[in-house]
Amino acid sequence: MDRTTRRIFIHRLTFLGGGVVLLGGACKCNEPGGTKPATAKRPPGIVRQVLTTSHRTFTNPEFAIVSALAERILPRDEDPGAIDANVPEYIDRMLQSPDLHQMKEDFLGGIEAIDRRARARFGKGFTDASAAEQDELIAAFKDAPPDSGEAKFYELLLTLTLEGFLGDPSYGGNKDYVGWALVGFQTTAPPPGYDGMKLLHQHHAAMHAGHDGEP
Amino acid sequence: MARDPVDVCIIGSGAGGAPMALELGRAGFKVVVLEKGRWHKKEDFVHDEILNSRRNFFMPLPWDEPHLVRGGVDAPFRRTNEAWTANVVGGGTVHMSGYFYRLKPMDFRLRSELGPVPGANLADWPIRYEDLAPYYDRAEEELGVSGEVQPHPFAEPRHKPYPLPPLWAHPIAKEIDAACSALGLHPLTTARGIISRNYRGRAACHYCALCGSYGCESDSKSSTLAALIPAAVATGNVEIRPQSMATEIEVDAAGRAKSVVYLDANGVRQEQPAKFVVVSATAVESARLLLNSQSGRFPRGLGNNNGLVGKNLVFSSFGQSKAIFRVSSRKKEWPWLSDPAPFVQRSVQDFYAMPDARHGFRKGGTIGFMWSHPNPIYAAINIAGTGRRGLFGKALKDALREYRDSKILEFEIYGEFLPNDGTFVSVEPGVKDKYGLPVAAITLTRHPTDLVMTKYLVERGEEILKALHPDRLERVGIAGETTILQGGTCRFGKDPAQSVLDPECRLHEVPNVYVVDGSFMPSSGGVPFTLTIVANAFRVANLFVKRHKG
Repeated sequence: MDRTTRRIFIHRLTFLGGGVVLLGGACKCNEPGGTKPATAKRPPGIVRQVLTTSHRTFTNPEFAIVSALAERILPRDEDPGAIDANVPEYIDRMLQSPDLHQMKEDFLGGIEAIDRRARARFGKGFTDASAAEQDELIAAFKDAPPDSGEAKFYELLLTLTLEGFLGDPSYGGNKDYVGWALVGFQTTAPPPGYDGMKLLHQHHAAMHAGHDGEP
Repeated sequence: MARDPVDVCIIGSGAGGAPMALELGRAGFKVVVLEKGRWHKKEDFVHDEILNSRRNFFMPLPWDEPHLVRGGVDAPFRRTNEAWTANVVGGGTVHMSGYFYRLKPMDFRLRSELGPVPGANLADWPIRYEDLAPYYDRAEEELGVSGEVQPHPFAEPRHKPYPLPPLWAHPIAKEIDAACSALGLHPLTTARGIISRNYRGRAACHYCALCGSYGCESDSKSSTLAALIPAAVATGNVEIRPQSMATEIEVDAAGRAKSVVYLDANGVRQEQPAKFVVVSATAVESARLLLNSQSGRFPRGLGNNNGLVGKNLVFSSFGQSKAIFRVSSRKKEWPWLSDPAPFVQRSVQDFYAMPDARHGFRKGGTIGFMWSHPNPIYAAINIAGTGRRGLFGKALKDALREYRDSKILEFEIYGEFLPNDGTFVSVEPGVKDKYGLPVAAITLTRHPTDLVMTKYLVERGEEILKALHPDRLERVGIAGETTILQGGTCRFGKDPAQSVLDPECRLHEVPNVYVVDGSFMPSSGGVPFTLTIVANAFRVANLFVKRHKG
């Protein structure tokens, strides 16, 4: 396991009706130097094509890997899958949250790690591997020791995928409510024009107001 | 800077602070309420699981404002976000489920009822049920509580019906009733802090799917935010100051409180002088504020010269099991099973207390039935799991489809939590929050009797579930505690050597400081604390007005 994914930092917090919740960003207060982005240390496995990307967080190749990963977590069968629900779009948008800065770096590191594992094991990138090969790699990450970088990346991937599949569509996923249809969830949706992501960012900004005030 | 003096400065706007603000405002006192959190409008409460339940909408984060928790005095502390309730105007009443049971007369004289229990610090309350009963009536009326009075072995005496009829119950309630009757038990309709009809300008509950853990978008939930604070503000005497974090209570040379120091929304230090200070920030946070308010006169914290502030912390003993019913296989027998009615509305209190200790305990609690929380991300993450038993791919989708075809009936135990020397709140000078204040440190030691009791109640609850022939029965746990329900850190009592507050909930050592959240409770009782905290705050407000008016 390479150094990048070992840095993955996941929080299991119990919020109300939330059960186990993942949040990133702890490092900014507690870990000295934790805010330093890992970008510079990245090996050249993936060339970042910042200028050509059509996404917010991911380069096009990264987006393709995220799409493949999410689709193996929730594949299309007789019901829609992760790509049908726009889960990759959700992950791409959610990782733009300032509070999830560290999680974004960790997630990018995890994508690289699984892609490198694909090349080492099958001689091809993750997106070129067959569905069975992709499943084998994902299962290896899932079944890794609980504190390993692999297991933590799997948990992060699973959580973001389920959030994107089953969250409010204003965050970019759960397109046409396909996720809610799969699990039979019925609710009165937020009002037209609702933008959960914007509110989330506003809330975090308000929470951080006054931080520097010395009593 | 120092603000203009007021009569009363209240810290916290939840179950304790809001009734005080309302009643003192009505009586003509000038009141300022310092509330740490934001002041939301009902439109801010939306059915967005990500915003509401999966980020820090209500609770602070452990790297901003940790609580330290350790399992016993010898264990190391760990940072958590446990034992917070919502940091918003209205406090924990905003996201509560509103299970509004009353305590029973025996809860007020637990020491006399049980005698000495080794390892437990039992105490009788300095008031009787009869003293609080009129204020239960008052609290139910002011907040709006829906319920029906039913005879059962542990029914508490009451003089008035509930102000509102019960909420609409899912048809499963009738099956629970039948199962209970066959077992010789007495199911009762759960009283709720949710209005079943339009009430005092608030709209009746529209039975949405997301109630507990969410703020109510129609003000139908009887939070202090919806039910009391608008009326308090309308008196013209009450100012709510949100995003104001109280850091210390200052005392004068005579040892009386003179002001509250707080940080405003911009992090600027402010000082609010007041003739009286009312603390209501939850049992954990109120103890922390008193312990952090150190002065020459109170070197160990305000009102803590006897060393009892923070001691005898209690939560509610928790246990839970769930029964899974497949809708498709029940279609013929129970065609109504998929009815979307969100409330089960049934409780069992037959095991509230036992006649003797043959089962290893005397004081039990309540079994409350409910549907499992409908948050879909929460459900799916639990279903998926991680590690070797974790599911993904086709297996995960099959499991999610099975979930779609299921109704999950749960019960939760609200059991007595025996107070003991090993369960208390202290402050850790070495660990500070984002405001630079020492954080609350919780030492938690469970009395072995609690675990015997919780297991027994879980088993009785499971007998009821089994009688409904579920497709699957899952035990969630028998040894937990519900840390959003908290009390006991500033016990009230007649003896200043044995308690922190007097029977009027004033600090024995600083009589112009009141504490009105769950801190006053010498014992947890066998029901959620919220209604009792509200009722006691109305009682204290009444005594305050009598003592200080005119």
